[in-house]
Amino acid sequence: MVVTDSSDSGTILRVRGPLEFRCQLDSTDALLMHKVISRTFATLHSQVKSESCVLTVCESPVIIWPNKGVYVTPEEITPNTLCEDIHQWIQTDEQESAGKRSSKKKSKKSSAASVINLSLMMEATKTGPLSAPILRRTLQKSHFLSTTLPMDCVVRITCSDTIKDAFECLMEALTHQLCEMEKVTLQHIKGTTLLTHRKELHQQFELQGDWPYFRRANAFHFPNELYKDGYLRNPHMVLTHPTLDNGKVYLVQGIYSYHHYMQDHVDDNGWGCAYRSLQTICSWFQQQGYVERAVPTHREIQKALVDVGDKQGSFVGSRQWIGSIEVQAVLNQLLEVTSKIMFVSQGSELASKGRELANHFLTEGTPIMIGGGVLAHTILGVAWSETTGQIRYLILDPHYTGAENLQVITDKGWCGWKGPDFWDQTAYYNLCLPQRPKVI
Amino acid sequence: MGRSYIVEDAVEGYLSELCEQRAGSVTGLLLGQSSPQRDFVVTATRTPPTEETLAGNSVDKEWVTEHARQVSRMLPGGLSVLGVFIITDTEAKDTLTTLRQLVFAVENLISSETLWSPAEDDVTDCVALHVNRKTRKTFCRTFDVKDPKSTAKPADWKYQSGVCSSWGMVSCCLLVDMLVPLPDKRTDPEYMDKCLKEELRGWAQQVESGVCLIDGKKLAEDAEFPGGQKRNVRQTYTAQILITPREQRLAEVERRCGGSVSLTGAVHSRAYLHSNKPKARLAEKLLKRDAVSTVATRVQMLLEELLTSEEENKSSGKHKREHCLPHRVFCPLKASRPLCVCDYQFSDESVCEVTERLKEMLDIDADEGDLDTRQESPAENTEREIAAEPTMETVVAPEPKRNTFIGVAMATAVALLASAASMLYLYDV
Repeated sequence: MVVTDSSDSGTILRVRGPLEFRCQLDSTDALLMHKVISRTFATLHSQVKSESCVLTVCESPVIIWPNKGVYVTPEEITPNTLCEDIHQWIQTDEQESAGKRSSKKKSKKSSAASVINLSLMMEATKTGPLSAPILRRTLQKSHFLSTTLPMDCVVRITCSDTIKDAFECLMEALTHQLCEMEKVTLQHIKGTTLLTHRKELHQQFELQGDWPYFRRANAFHFPNELYKDGYLRNPHMVLTHPTLDNGKVYLVQGIYSYHHYMQDHVDDNGWGCAYRSLQTICSWFQQQGYVERAVPTHREIQKALVDVGDKQGSFVGSRQWIGSIEVQAVLNQLLEVTSKIMFVSQGSELASKGRELANHFLTEGTPIMIGGGVLAHTILGVAWSETTGQIRYLILDPHYTGAENLQVITDKGWCGWKGPDFWDQTAYYNLCLPQRPKVI
Repeated sequence: MGRSYIVEDAVEGYLSELCEQRAGSVTGLLLGQSSPQRDFVVTATRTPPTEETLAGNSVDKEWVTEHARQVSRMLPGGLSVLGVFIITDTEAKDTLTTLRQLVFAVENLISSETLWSPAEDDVTDCVALHVNRKTRKTFCRTFDVKDPKSTAKPADWKYQSGVCSSWGMVSCCLLVDMLVPLPDKRTDPEYMDKCLKEELRGWAQQVESGVCLIDGKKLAEDAEFPGGQKRNVRQTYTAQILITPREQRLAEVERRCGGSVSLTGAVHSRAYLHSNKPKARLAEKLLKRDAVSTVATRVQMLLEELLTSEEENKSSGKHKREHCLPHRVFCPLKASRPLCVCDYQFSDESVCEVTERLKEMLDIDADEGDLDTRQESPAENTEREIAAEPTMETVVAPEPKRNTFIGVAMATAVALLASAASMLYLYDV
């Protein structure tokens, strides 16, 4: 676990790499199996502690042997060099050479912590002469286990840490991770589930018992890693939130992706707005780790409605609109998520729903789909003053047809704060408020 | 624009000798290194005479190809069979078809055995040389072996002295550590061969994609290999290879096996580089190929031995067997210093068997004292019976049902482990 202080622009060292786990189990006795597995882990430990263990800095010629007195190549870097100086050796897109960046081109320091990525490798060569290989054949009916342990460790370094300090820390983290992996493997022979393990972690870190911090999807997203799907995440984060007298801002919790018209090569301009709002909601459940299912397509949404009997078979492939009730049905069918429906007979009434909306964002924190008149939108938050009754709504508009350009989307208000006059004052509205499952 | 072959003077002398020695046709191989601009022929060797070839005029195509295959195993990195020569009393054009057939057959056989994948920048032209016994005139053509329909293209054949005198050498001592399961019902040497080959292919890919350091530094892609034509500059370099362990597909976590084969030890690998401004990545490519070849060759040689003595293996019924791979011995080419060829010596062979093979295959007269046996030490056979290892205790076989359950539970545990521990890693997928 790494504690990050958002105001400090420190550096994080991250090492990733596979370790081959291979062993033969020729007995079904649990004790003997434990022995073999422990022995295999011991071999991996000695590999990681050996002089053949090497860490290479990605996109650079810097290579470190952490167990050889922290030996570094190129020669200009020594174990006593400041660890942060490694940044200067990392190639960016601007330059081709593998050498040091010229001092004129110092990069701007961003406020987020920067990450130095390292790969875990093994040196396969040694000084000879060594003895020629031996081939050993064993004939024994057994079970052969082979898998890859995906090592992934992180340490935080300060600006005064030398390479020697930093890498000693990193190697400790790596060894520790290997130990944890061994514990988990041996535990699972008995057949415990990951849920138990997550419970233990929640207790250890004193985390609330109803938010899935430790599910895989909630892994920390490193800043220099792109989201491979191309969707924008949480565009609302760049907005300035309104300040109302005695007002507070209540926002969606967690991460969602922005789904809107024309994405995924689907031309749903004019009819797909509720579908897109539903996709945004589904993305929230996926990214918080409640479901593993990918965000459903228009067809999948339509099929789900046919499956629950809400629509006829001809609905699939059509361009028919859906409303909040359908959204609720699909969330239930595909994601097993229940939702509350809020009905407003006139748009003007929405202004009085501040308290309920605020409560929703406090306790559930999920995006809300609102449909009425001829339009559907997603409500991501509300700014509400209990005393004055002033209210603003943070709206994510699925009617946008452009590219994933954060600037345009926020400047033009496709994601933005709207006042009560945003709603059609005479039309009736239905809101679908998805309920967050209280699990870890 | 044809290719040009720069040929060591000694080769001219050798070909002349062959002209004088025998009547009839004499075939042989031309050995050296190719580069995009020109090719270097550093030595030549005649096809070892057999009873048939001594008798008549005919060319034993199969024997020429087999000879080439065996010679190719005796060449360290950077040296390869560049082509074929033939000495006859006839006109050059009469032999062209034969030469073409030989060149293609040789190349096809050798490349069918290689475990590494061909690279874009590999030269695919091979040379066919005809020498007229009476006039000593040389007729040189090349064929592009990648193109089955290629025609003969003219090429230059120039003799020069000291072709290899400034050639560089890069070497390393590479560790090998493999563990391969054998399928439940098939543990015979043939299947062992198949399993090992597959493992070796995977290992070859690991080596190919590994990071190569020369003299402790990672050189840029286009950097020149240090050394070259300058005099008094050190010409031997040590390389280090860093590899990333392999990714294992989750589907194959657990399987039943009837046994396993392990290969552990180290090999000395080396590659020679021409002195015409070679690139660092050429050194890396040649060295890695040599590393893969030397391991594959030795495994092949061992398995060939085992297959022929299969009867012996079956009857012994031992649960555990150990075999030492032969170790590598180098022999300098007197006329093409500093280059060496190599051979493999099994632990039960004497050094004179090596010198005999060198004479037969490469027509080299070497004394025991010429040989360099210090690059690798022979493997020590620590063969012992099963009793020693505690985990190899014979356990009373439990009911098959329980067997499967534990196996599956174990697999699930390990798979869960892999996925649980990959919380950060698999996010990218």
